[in-house]
Amino acid sequence: MAGAARQGDRSGGALVPDKRGHYAALGITKSFAGAAVLRDVSVHFQPGEIHALVGENGAGKSTLLKVMAGTYSLDAGTLVLDGDTLPTLTPREAQRRGIYLVPQEPRLMPDLSVAENLYLGALPTRRFGTVAWRSMNDTTEGLISSVGLRVDPRALAGRLSLAQQQLLECARALSHGCGIIFFDEPTSPLTAHDAEKLFTLMDQMRARGLTLAFISHRLDEVDAISDRITVLRDGVVVAREERGTLTREQLVNAMIGRQLTVTRRAGHALPDGAVMLEVNGISSPPEVNGMSVHVRAGEIVGLAGLVGSGRTEFAETLFGIRAPAAGTIRVDGRDITGCSPRRCIDSGLVYLAEDRGRSGIFPDVDIARNATSAIVGRLPRLARIFIQPRKEQELARTAVQRMDVRAGSIAALMKTLSGGNQQKALLARWMLAEPRVAIFDEPTRGVDVGAKESIYEIIESLAEDGLAALVISSELEELVRLCDRVYVVYEGSIVGELAGADVTLTALGQLAVGAS
Amino acid sequence: MTLARNIEAAPPDQRGGSPGRAWPGLLRRREVLVLAAIVLIIAASTAAHPYFWSSGNLAFIFADSVVIMFLALGESFVMLGRGIDLSVGSIMGLSAIIVGFRIQNHGMTLLPAVILGAAIGVVLGLGNAILVGVVRLPPIIATLGTLSVYSGLEFVVTNGNQVDTIPDSFTDLGSHTVLPGVPVILLITLPFVLVAAAVLRHTVFGRSIYAAGDDAEAAYRAGLPVRRVLFMTYLISGLFAGLAGIAFLIYTSGASSTTGINDNLTAIAAAIIGGTALTGGRGGAFGAFVGSVFLTVTLTAMSYAHIADVWQPAGVGVLVLLAVFSDTRSRQGGTGRRPGQRRYRRRQGPENLEVVKA
Repeated sequence: MAGAARQGDRSGGALVPDKRGHYAALGITKSFAGAAVLRDVSVHFQPGEIHALVGENGAGKSTLLKVMAGTYSLDAGTLVLDGDTLPTLTPREAQRRGIYLVPQEPRLMPDLSVAENLYLGALPTRRFGTVAWRSMNDTTEGLISSVGLRVDPRALAGRLSLAQQQLLECARALSHGCGIIFFDEPTSPLTAHDAEKLFTLMDQMRARGLTLAFISHRLDEVDAISDRITVLRDGVVVAREERGTLTREQLVNAMIGRQLTVTRRAGHALPDGAVMLEVNGISSPPEVNGMSVHVRAGEIVGLAGLVGSGRTEFAETLFGIRAPAAGTIRVDGRDITGCSPRRCIDSGLVYLAEDRGRSGIFPDVDIARNATSAIVGRLPRLARIFIQPRKEQELARTAVQRMDVRAGSIAALMKTLSGGNQQKALLARWMLAEPRVAIFDEPTRGVDVGAKESIYEIIESLAEDGLAALVISSELEELVRLCDRVYVVYEGSIVGELAGADVTLTALGQLAVGAS
Repeated sequence: MTLARNIEAAPPDQRGGSPGRAWPGLLRRREVLVLAAIVLIIAASTAAHPYFWSSGNLAFIFADSVVIMFLALGESFVMLGRGIDLSVGSIMGLSAIIVGFRIQNHGMTLLPAVILGAAIGVVLGLGNAILVGVVRLPPIIATLGTLSVYSGLEFVVTNGNQVDTIPDSFTDLGSHTVLPGVPVILLITLPFVLVAAAVLRHTVFGRSIYAAGDDAEAAYRAGLPVRRVLFMTYLISGLFAGLAGIAFLIYTSGASSTTGINDNLTAIAAAIIGGTALTGGRGGAFGAFVGSVFLTVTLTAMSYAHIADVWQPAGVGVLVLLAVFSDTRSRQGGTGRRPGQRRYRRRQGPENLEVVKA
């Protein structure tokens, strides 16, 4: 399949001289520490087209874009821009040639203003070299509104939401006059609504003849917006098609290299277990304003809403990371309002955080100790002082196996695992704490298709064992797939509750944007 | 459900982090490398000066390293929690001076001296602990302040005098050897190293230090008492520095208003050379042990090679730079990242902002 695709690429790769923005990678090979991440990969991005790169995590999509944007050096192969073979590319050189990569996590300076971030490295100056603040702020206003971003140019970039930060990155690319823009998984942190806005912008850019490429795990949006799709698996191009020539199923099969039947949750019947989590009118202004939810044992309840609607803040208030201003929180009848994370864990409430890199894993610690870190005080100890390593490892191994973590050994460092496996190891950590209520905040963010499904299965099996699960997700499909009941959050309040068969994409989507 | 598949595919215990399992892992450990370097230096120096390999000289080296060892042990606790204690040398100096005067003028015996020294260390360490753990000053600023205060107090306490007559019952511990080349004081120190290692590796407290040093926010969310743990590390650092004061009296049989002034950085150097990371979360007690022996062996070898003593601080500096360099090199090894690929982490963490290599 790959060979045929490459041939097709060559015949179609005759570069049209009058239209700039043809950017091709030919036979790219790249290894990290001896492990080949890309093997003889060729792609061709064309002006006026949106090119989607899909594939499982670790397939090499990000690496390919980073090589083409000069972030990584390449081991073999050539980069050809409008017929010219590019010399060794640095990020600076790439930008000078009009190539810009919008990274997965926007890299803005949080303590500088929007305008300063936009002009970073090229601040406009007046005589005597002082910064021309006023004209800079004025031009910024125009630039950011052209990408649909309406904020004060003097606001600190750290105050922007993730979606706004991404738009600012786009504005930065345009302000540098870049004609080739890459997006590394732009929509994974965005809500459906914000993703829609981003796609409108990409659509406009395409109409202006820019060359666009993006990485995505969401096949819906790939179908919706891309002109061309390249599928990578294990560092090799396995399929390359124009839109519409591959069915959804073929695409998925190409990505994962095996059949994956899409399963829907069988029951969706509402369990009548005891109420395990009962939250009454909890507030933590300004983000959380009087939210009440309850979750029964064995129930999987979703929390839908836009990014910034206060879902994570709500979870953090339950888990004692933020102080509640009003309301009560009960776990299994016990009042835990305002308790520290330690007390929450001991009372049977655990919280799988949204940002696993910053507030979840211990990167330099092995998997076993990562898994037992929440119950380190409960581990079997010699003379009540010294932890017994054998028994600890036994516990960790059992938990890690149950969560299907793929690792060579539980003594491997956490940072050596892929995103999906890190997430499963964190699940193991929280399940070792034997919770009665678990909050899963974006449990499948940055996780590939196969691992996603197994995380769903894990959550389902935990619920079957009587766990009360609260799932926060920006992916509506995920909530439909998983949840018995869904609350919709809008600006810090519950604006709707759907159960059973009423949980549909359209209903959730409408409620989440505040339309009743 | 298709859980439980792959974890057993590989042998479970090829670990880089635990002693004595797999040889390649063992050889990669910093402690082993430093031990090999120590052996090399001793061998080379002995080849040039046969006296280097004599019971008297080795005992001298070990007694010398014990002082640094105590400081470095305490410092390791703080550094593993991603802090730093710049005041350990001054705490040691104050302990040596106060206890030294009690011994010299009031005939204090060994056991009360050790208890007094430890108490002084804990009290001074409490100052750091409160500033960092309760007032929440950045560790480097807080301990820079207490460094000034404590070393100033040394002048106040000595008031122009100095400790110069320590009875033989003390100094014999540093000069008498149980085995050829092994002074009594080294034997007394070893249990401290072992206890420190066990506490760090096998207790809830020790594990919490590593977790807090690796990622304070994640540790807090895992239910670990981060602030209490960090508070305790400064107390422990003070305790060991107080004990180092007694070791100093035993080894040098005196103390003055400038005692310990150069030892703050030497202690940090020993910990770093032994593999404890300035960024927290990696290292251990044995690293402090071999690091301090390595420093004293190297410095003694330098004077045997007729390098003037004034070069010693510069020598220590070069060794630290080399250790940090090799550490960052081995950690970067093969990730293919370019400089500039850094990431701001822990923006919201309870600790201050840090730039780390992603």
